[in-house]
Amino acid sequence: MLCAVGKEAVAENHSSPLDDDNDTLLFEKLQEHVLAHYPNPERKGCPEPEVLKSLVDDPGNVTLAALNDLHVFKCAECTRLLMELRQKKKQREASK
Amino acid sequence: MVEMQNLTPSDLCWNAKFPPEQKWIEQTMHAAIGNIWRRAHHAAHTQLGDESSAPEIMEVAIEGAVRRLQTGPPQGPEDVASLLERLFLQEVRRRRSANKRLVYVGIDQEIPIGSAQNPHTLVDSAIDLDRILHDIPPDVRIALLLRYSRSRWSEVAAVLGTSDAAVRLRCKRALDRIRKKLEDEIHET
Repeated sequence: MLCAVGKEAVAENHSSPLDDDNDTLLFEKLQEHVLAHYPNPERKGCPEPEVLKSLVDDPGNVTLAALNDLHVFKCAECTRLLMELRQKKKQREASK
Repeated sequence: MVEMQNLTPSDLCWNAKFPPEQKWIEQTMHAAIGNIWRRAHHAAHTQLGDESSAPEIMEVAIEGAVRRLQTGPPQGPEDVASLLERLFLQEVRRRRSANKRLVYVGIDQEIPIGSAQNPHTLVDSAIDLDRILHDIPPDVRIALLLRYSRSRWSEVAAVLGTSDAAVRLRCKRALDRIRKKLEDEIHET
């Protein structure tokens, strides 16, 4: 459950009493939502895979235009690819 | 817990574009922000009922102040502080007027009886994710995309060259709306 319960949570600027400081639960739920509601098998409007890889590995030069703005929040396929790229990055870092 | 009042001038200037050939603007702006931030934050809280909007309003004021200062002779910290505060309060008044023109979206039956409703708050339950995303400013879009592609706000802050607190606060409004949207979907299923 994501709701912030009570005035205390709002007053303390907590995102939600059930979430952490990284809003982990919120982003997991957002990811699930995109995967469930935004199929895009024809990959319409998707940025190049290299752009998504740069977003994960080397985001300094990635632009909103190259990403097609907030397309990834409306594309299950791009979200899935981001998840894979993140996992690979984690594995690389763990093996160092 | 994010301490908004502890945001530094650097935190609040993270998205500002200062002219490199007029270094005095950035220097006096930092001093001016330090001077007025607590009062400005208080004004956003009391006049809009929403202290989380204070950093965003300050960014608007900084942008306006930089534009004006670029065209004139160098000014001292007190004059810049006065200008910045004036622009900040102007933006607060504009938002207060804009809030009064907002209307409820959806029909009465969609609003639970007895729920706490700020009369100036747009009812989000009828707005889908697309519309929420559409309203997000460009700098927040970048921050959200970075967070979506990694696990921690500290990593986002490192990319953007600012603090975790500044980034989270800047994204707070958008995150709250997305969270509300996802909560509503959970309750409907």
